[in-house]
Amino acid sequence: MSSRILPNFDLLVPNSTTEAVNLLAHYQERAAILAGGTDLIVAMKMNYESEILISVSELDGLDYIDFDPSSGLHIGAKATVAQILASAEVKQYYPALWQAANVFATPQIRTTATVIGNVLRGSPAGDTSCALLALGARIVLQSAEGIREVSIDDFWTGYNQNARHSNELAIELIVDAPQQSTGSAFKRMTRVNEDLAKLNGSVRLEMNGNICTSARIAMGCVGPTTLRLPKTEQLLINKEITPELLAQVADSVPTEISPIDDKRSTAEYRLMVSGVVIKRLIQQAATTAN
Amino acid sequence: MKERAIELTVNGITLNITVPVHQTLLDTLREQLGFTDTKYGCGSGECGACTVIIDGEDSLCSCMALASTLNGRNITTAAGLAEFGLNAVQQAFIDQTAVQCGFCTPGMVTKSTSLLRKNPNPTEEEIRKELEGNICRCTGYESIVKAVQQAAESFPEANSQWDNAVELKAGANS
Repeated sequence: MSSRILPNFDLLVPNSTTEAVNLLAHYQERAAILAGGTDLIVAMKMNYESEILISVSELDGLDYIDFDPSSGLHIGAKATVAQILASAEVKQYYPALWQAANVFATPQIRTTATVIGNVLRGSPAGDTSCALLALGARIVLQSAEGIREVSIDDFWTGYNQNARHSNELAIELIVDAPQQSTGSAFKRMTRVNEDLAKLNGSVRLEMNGNICTSARIAMGCVGPTTLRLPKTEQLLINKEITPELLAQVADSVPTEISPIDDKRSTAEYRLMVSGVVIKRLIQQAATTAN
Repeated sequence: MKERAIELTVNGITLNITVPVHQTLLDTLREQLGFTDTKYGCGSGECGACTVIIDGEDSLCSCMALASTLNGRNITTAAGLAEFGLNAVQQAFIDQTAVQCGFCTPGMVTKSTSLLRKNPNPTEEEIRKELEGNICRCTGYESIVKAVQQAAESFPEANSQWDNAVELKAGANS
């Protein structure tokens, strides 16, 4: 272990997605996929070893962020967090994702870190991944056998674990186009911006006037994966957003999470602030929806 | 493969080199090419001492990038900014005494240059936000922010020639 020298590995640099999935079909769990490297390289300096790294650096055409009013937002596997921040369409139509990118790590890390990598890492403290859970993203996985889509609701299967098979390459994230009255917001509790979150949350609402017709609520750092809060979501459906309802919501949130004490915060603090965070996010999302 | 032949442009010079695949860009710069102006700090992207400019205006931590995956890319270190005399940021760091022990300075200078190339008129808040990933152990942040503000004042236009243009305007090192 060294914070400077990486362990040895074999590097493969495919030139096409087809070549990449063929390599994955052959090497399977012997290979790790390297994109931005801001997680993988640090992990390899600390304790993680992989016999083979497959770099996506020379795969063309995967660094796009495309928005289409009917098919939604398409984020290519190589699109970085900095690109999210630079996208006027993300800022306008997916404010939760833009706000998460805005506080994501440091400028240097945003330059190279990919959005899809943040989802694949599956850290419960992930910022863009938290926003993407509230926004209901889908992950597109390609293997030599074909392409499949997995809802982000089913993607994280445990702490740092996900539904990607070892022969699959995650090639794209898709987020449905917002309705006319969709609002979203993201918030993170932290000491200084560079730190990982003590707690983060994101909300996506569909509104009909003052009535909430659909809600997705995500919260991170309060369980083994970023969690959805389905009971709290149900409280909002077909209701007017009133101070009384928000008080009910704030009481419900701590009952759906299971935070722990760690070096960044305590379970007690997380339980105490969680309801307030979600309450404010709902107010913010409702404002942007109208 | 354990080694890879790549083309890398460093401080304006295009090099064809063979690098061990597990070598970080930082070690390629320091150990293989001798650009020791780029510093090794934390090794995990938290301190910004190893910051270099990539492809003209973006900045990244060279301790977390593998040189072997940067085939065809263009890297600028702090030394590369002084090729024709100190650039506006470097001169401002001297004028504002924004250097104490100096270890963070190359990273601060490359990060600040990257910032000004993208945003020639940053607010103080924007400067502080952009420098969030660069830690100064001497805690000399006030003078560093002032230096970036000074550099922004003498920044004539947002093009790739601005370093030299500033030099000519300021008459530094002439």
